[in-house]
Amino acid sequence: MPRDLSPSVIDAARPRSAHGHLAGDLALVAETMALYRLDQAQIDTLARGLEAGDAGTAQALERLGLALPAPRPALPDPTRPIRALTLTVSQTCNLACVYCYAGGGSFGGPDKRMGWDVARQAIDALIAETPPGGSVRIAFMGGEPMASRALIRRAVQHALHRAATRAVSVGFSMTTNGTLVTEADAEFLAQHRFAVTVSLDGDRAANDRLRPTKTKAGSFDRVGEGVTRLAARSDRIALSARVTATPDNLDLEATMAALGALGFASVGVSPMLTSPTGQGALRGDDFTTLLDAMIRCGEAWLAAVLSGGSHPFANLATALSELHRGQPRSHACGAARDYLAVDAEGSYSACHRFVNDPLGRMGTLGAIDHDARRAFLIERAVERQGPCASCWARRLCGGGCHHEVLHAGRPACDYVRGWLHFAMTAYSRLIAAHPAWFDGPG
Amino acid sequence: MSEPPRPLNRAAYPEPVLGNPVSTLMESGVGNCYPGLEFDLRQLDTRFFPGLTFDFLGIEPSGPDGTQGAHLINADASSDPTFQQDCPWIAALRRQLNGPEGAALGSGNWYLHWVEQQGKRIELYDFDVFQNATYLVPYEGETCWWIIRSIEADPDESTADLTIALSQRDANGQPTGTPVVLHGKRRRYLDEAGMIPEVYRPGELTASMCSPWTHDFRDCACQYWAANHPDIVLGPVHGYALEDGTSRDDATQAVTFLDWMRRRGTAPAVMAEATLERSRPDAYDPYEINLRWQELDFVLQGEETDGTPDPKPKPKPKLKSEPDPNEQHRPTYPSVEAAMADLREELAPLEFTLSMVYLYALLSLRAPEEVTAEEHQTWHSLAEDLAAARQSLLAVAVSEMTHLRWVNQMLWTLGRAGFDTKHPYKPVVRPLPQPAAGALPDDLHARVRMLRPASPTTLEDFVDIERPAEAVDTEYAGLVEYLRHKEFPAGLHELAVRIDSDGLQHYQRFRSVATSLSRYAREPRLYLRPIVLADASDASLMPALDLLDRIVKATENGYEAEFRDDMPAAEAAILEAREAMRAFQIEAERLARDEGKGIPFFARWKASDRAP
Repeated sequence: MPRDLSPSVIDAARPRSAHGHLAGDLALVAETMALYRLDQAQIDTLARGLEAGDAGTAQALERLGLALPAPRPALPDPTRPIRALTLTVSQTCNLACVYCYAGGGSFGGPDKRMGWDVARQAIDALIAETPPGGSVRIAFMGGEPMASRALIRRAVQHALHRAATRAVSVGFSMTTNGTLVTEADAEFLAQHRFAVTVSLDGDRAANDRLRPTKTKAGSFDRVGEGVTRLAARSDRIALSARVTATPDNLDLEATMAALGALGFASVGVSPMLTSPTGQGALRGDDFTTLLDAMIRCGEAWLAAVLSGGSHPFANLATALSELHRGQPRSHACGAARDYLAVDAEGSYSACHRFVNDPLGRMGTLGAIDHDARRAFLIERAVERQGPCASCWARRLCGGGCHHEVLHAGRPACDYVRGWLHFAMTAYSRLIAAHPAWFDGPG
Repeated sequence: MSEPPRPLNRAAYPEPVLGNPVSTLMESGVGNCYPGLEFDLRQLDTRFFPGLTFDFLGIEPSGPDGTQGAHLINADASSDPTFQQDCPWIAALRRQLNGPEGAALGSGNWYLHWVEQQGKRIELYDFDVFQNATYLVPYEGETCWWIIRSIEADPDESTADLTIALSQRDANGQPTGTPVVLHGKRRRYLDEAGMIPEVYRPGELTASMCSPWTHDFRDCACQYWAANHPDIVLGPVHGYALEDGTSRDDATQAVTFLDWMRRRGTAPAVMAEATLERSRPDAYDPYEINLRWQELDFVLQGEETDGTPDPKPKPKPKLKSEPDPNEQHRPTYPSVEAAMADLREELAPLEFTLSMVYLYALLSLRAPEEVTAEEHQTWHSLAEDLAAARQSLLAVAVSEMTHLRWVNQMLWTLGRAGFDTKHPYKPVVRPLPQPAAGALPDDLHARVRMLRPASPTTLEDFVDIERPAEAVDTEYAGLVEYLRHKEFPAGLHELAVRIDSDGLQHYQRFRSVATSLSRYAREPRLYLRPIVLADASDASLMPALDLLDRIVKATENGYEAEFRDDMPAAEAAILEAREAMRAFQIEAERLARDEGKGIPFFARWKASDRAP
């Protein structure tokens, strides 16, 4: 595949009309997220319409028998009951990643660890508000959560006990840098069926460059030991890697290979758009390089799946599932809607990234600020985002990460559209060749 | 681009919602108070007052014994979450229950005496004045429950708005001793999330219910959901089964209906009884059904089975008169004209005749309300047997009238399709001609045309007439066969098949009538009216015979209109016929009951007539 692929994809993905988009033989009706396969005559009709803007697109869609839907009324109250909670158990970290949104775990403040009372009250509140038969998820994050392993163990036992008395089921997850995971930790995580996400930025060189310890030493070997312990229990631990894409580690194919070799069956890539230090964020041409790398990984994933195999690259699998699900979004994620984070002080925020951030404050223990949640969601809904109104991808992307948008704006929309355009073409190919993939996780 | 493309993804489907649908929540439940579906509302009120548990005792079958009412089972503040709240009235009530009042309630039998709210006090006793003395008669449990249900739930949590008194009773049920007076609130049965408070133990709210799939299933009538089950079924085939699925060794298997609820065991299955009352001794009793419900058979196509069903539809039991499909086909009629002549001259009059003969037999039976109290003492099920027998005879008579219509329908359908233009369609609503003098007594027409009371001999003859592969059945077998092999208008073959297969039901019904009335054979007066076939010249018969004429005329007009496809006229004619039928029924019952006269149904047709 040529290196200069992404400019043509970016051009193809350029917003032509707010009403819809055409990717290969696949038409998207923007507001409903419905996807249609078109024949050549229909493709020509829609392509001509798209070049003529909104009016032409509306006409073309109507000629295809796809009258535009009435706009969906906004929900008066977009909040839902809280069913997921992140405990920022340790606002300290043994690594010093250059781009960390948490500023080395402390979120710009002093290092802190969560006390038992805060954890207990937050868990009790979560479970008490869940009706019997319901389910909740509790995530442990940091900083590095394993720096508070005693608290995690106590919190898990407590949550299981409380949940059992209310007939609520509870699932656990953790995002860790993997360096502190002992054999006993791995066994504990396996016993409670944790979903564990390990932050890792590539092969040894990339990782040691971007993820040094606080004494500036490389961390890859220590991560490797922890990952080996976790991967040995992959029957009980849902193990995945999270790669933060920065200008310094854009060789994603090498990353996939390295992390696959380390034992990860699933590797997700998140572009770095904003960091407290300004260091490590992607800009300008970085995005075309990133898109190239993503598409290359996507093609490798698709080739593997179509030949009956597997590939760790998770982003395309996620995008395809979402395209197939076809449910229009108002927000990019569940932050503030059914998910909150609580920090060491006992303050709630819209998500783990908003800890210590006045823009995402959602009350304190015993007094979740539901008005703030509602106001936040109404304000952040994609329907209210001016630049999104003309974008065909708005219901797919949901307007982007709230934290990034509030702090860095939307520098990556071309990249996002390019990626989604590619994902649509991949959807068209996969659903034709291997529709069974959509029946279950591929 | 004739059809709009369909979405490739699931955009058209609503997002699934996790959790129980709203229809499963308690507040959307039926929640009736009787053997119910979700729980028994009365159980909520057993804990209407914080810390106390009551039982609502009814009156024993032997009569009131002074123990009826709201009986205190338990007084205990420690096991009631209400007392965890911090509130002055709760603290006061806790002190009462932990103090002398609680100690008093801890021994002896205590009953709720009165309840008072908003200045209104209701005593749970009735006043009775007897021989210049006043007695207090305790209300029975259900009445107490009604009163307790009427206590309001006060939204103000901070004040106690309900006062109750409990007292003990002497041997005559009279309140005695010092009552215990408590101040509190009526319990709220649902919290804001719609949850029932934890004070109720698992199983408590359903403890008083019966079990729908067993008791109710056995005892409740057909409109109740749990009672939706077969009543009568054909028995399972044991041993060698013939190709048509019936038993080789038990010829009656295919025609013997069994009570599905019958008690299984070593005794051979006996035919289902005609009435619920008589079938009860042979059916599972309420206790057994809890233990043995799993013995009830699955029923497929009306037949009990314990095996895996054959997915292929079972062929209809082959009757003797039906041609063997392996035999070389030979037409049963030489021509369509011959088939139509048979419909016109033979089958339609046969149906008309049979319906009248069965009606005559029906009118000869006493009505259930004519059974005297004295007779009922000796013959408990006589009234029910009569009701069942009359119902069966009426059902068969109506079925024959339906057949008359179908035969006419076949004729007008063939006529409209242009068959046999020499005989344009004319409605056939007349009896078989009177047999010529000297006809043999086993001549079908002679046998069928006899108007006679429903004596055992008559019923036996009816059974014979309708017996599969005999007399009437044979008449249709040929028609079924003929219509199957020809290019006739749609539906004709099906009509013939339906008439033919109804015969099996008629046969079965007559057999059950004959069996149920046979127990009165030695005293026919118990079930037969002493009617005599009246002479056509009897003036008192004129209204009835005129009504019969009206019925025949209106029916003919209706068929004629249907032939012309004039549905409004057909409908008007049928309505008129029905009205005349109702009047005729009243008049015919009166003649039979009060004057002992049987109506000569065929009097207005002369022997030689083809039409009245």
